[in-house]
Amino acid sequence: MGYVAVKGGSSAIEESIKRLQYQRIKAKKKIDVEVIQGTLRGLIDKIMSESSLYARELAALAIKQAEGNPEEATFILRAYRSTLPRKYYSQVVDTEDMRIERRISAALKDIPGGQILGASYDYRHRLLDFELYEEKIEDLEKLLQEFEAEGWSNSEEEASGAKQKTSEHSYTKVPKVISFLRAEGLLPPVKIDDSEPDDITRKSIEFPTRRSARLQTLTRGEAGAVTALGYAAIRGYGMVHPTVGELRVGYLPIHIDYPLQEGNEEDAVYIGEIEVTEVESLIPQVIEKEKGRKEIEFTVGYGLCYGQNETKAIAMSILDSCLAKKDLLSPTAVHDEEFVLLHIDAVEASGFISHLKLPHYVTFQSELDSLRKTKKKEENHESI
Amino acid sequence: MQRKRRTTILVKGSMELARTLAEEILERYQVQIIQEPQQGLVMVKMRDQSQHTLFYIGEVLITECKVQIEDTIGLGIIQEQNPQKAYYLAIIDSAYNANLFETKAWEELLIREEKKNQELEEQERLQILKTKVDFTTMSL
Repeated sequence: MGYVAVKGGSSAIEESIKRLQYQRIKAKKKIDVEVIQGTLRGLIDKIMSESSLYARELAALAIKQAEGNPEEATFILRAYRSTLPRKYYSQVVDTEDMRIERRISAALKDIPGGQILGASYDYRHRLLDFELYEEKIEDLEKLLQEFEAEGWSNSEEEASGAKQKTSEHSYTKVPKVISFLRAEGLLPPVKIDDSEPDDITRKSIEFPTRRSARLQTLTRGEAGAVTALGYAAIRGYGMVHPTVGELRVGYLPIHIDYPLQEGNEEDAVYIGEIEVTEVESLIPQVIEKEKGRKEIEFTVGYGLCYGQNETKAIAMSILDSCLAKKDLLSPTAVHDEEFVLLHIDAVEASGFISHLKLPHYVTFQSELDSLRKTKKKEENHESI
Repeated sequence: MQRKRRTTILVKGSMELARTLAEEILERYQVQIIQEPQQGLVMVKMRDQSQHTLFYIGEVLITECKVQIEDTIGLGIIQEQNPQKAYYLAIIDSAYNANLFETKAWEELLIREEKKNQELEEQERLQILKTKVDFTTMSL
């Protein structure tokens, strides 16, 4: 059976697109991109991370266009990204330079620089706040004034005390938990590796992967997919039992080399900053030493993604660790890099599943023909 | 003042300062736009803290503009969609590249803006420091 070209859908498709537009506006309510950008921080962070494009305003626009559907918003933003020229590569960004907003450790209570809770849902009850129905701009302005007054000018004494505290323990430069564990010899030392990273947006991923390709794929993975696989790994489908050594949320400065002239480090161009979540998970593993002696050693799983996406960053660190284990006797799916890396991408996964909605009339007809033939044969057989 | 410090001050700082400096040049010199402000991407290269290898976290949206004053080209780059500021930054960069005398007087303004930026960050820092945990051991 050959392919048969059919037509007749164009006008229905046009009406369907109109219907979609109608659905978006039928409530006669309008939401400005500025309002989305100022209020839907969590969704914007998710979309930017999965789109692999740090652009807050465009993410807000994509959310508006997609009526808040994250899978559609990510698709739109990725598509737009593909139309833009890549002009530069940044200088290497080191998270030691992070301007910290939040920094906690589940492994150690007392860490240099301290535990800074920042802004988090972790310490709140998950109860619906019905007062938000009545929220007014004037209320917000009043609250903001209170925050500002508390933070700086309310008490000179308190401010100068805090200033001193800041300069003593400038938390923007606090040592990383893994750095002092390394300094104590509790983690194996690592050397700086400046090999050029793979770029999966320029060259399709190849197996076995290099670490750079794994991390790039994980960081742009769909949060739910990455979390689900990370969860499976610690529930028994993976050989990892992590403790969060350190979780940081904060801003990183981005610099590029000045393209018009050769120059030194101080000639770089500052273009802005990105907010990221970073996680180092400590994973114990038993190492066999000489004469059958066994020893526990810690490895570090790494998670880093755009925005405040803490669950995703932790799950990424778990999967990073799972994929680094190469010589397991009975590896499960979460240790299989093809399984993990090829199924967590939001656009690829949703695109493939969505294609099932497209007409499969010919292939399905052929399946029906086979079924009819089989049925007929069975009937003939029974009648003999 | 070198470019890294200067661009940090101007990108973090107010539009007002960038406009003031750029307009000073526009009033006295012929500024030719070589490249209108246009969007582009910067790929961000990260150092992974676990193995100290490099990887790409993703791209950042930028607006870029190029101008020329006399024979000297200047470049303005800023994160997100910000064509006006990219244009002003390009003029300021070109003025520094051409070593125009006006730039000598800018030092003080830039240092004042830097102080303002630092104070804002300090204010934010003090707010965040309030969420620092002060562990005390409970007596049983």
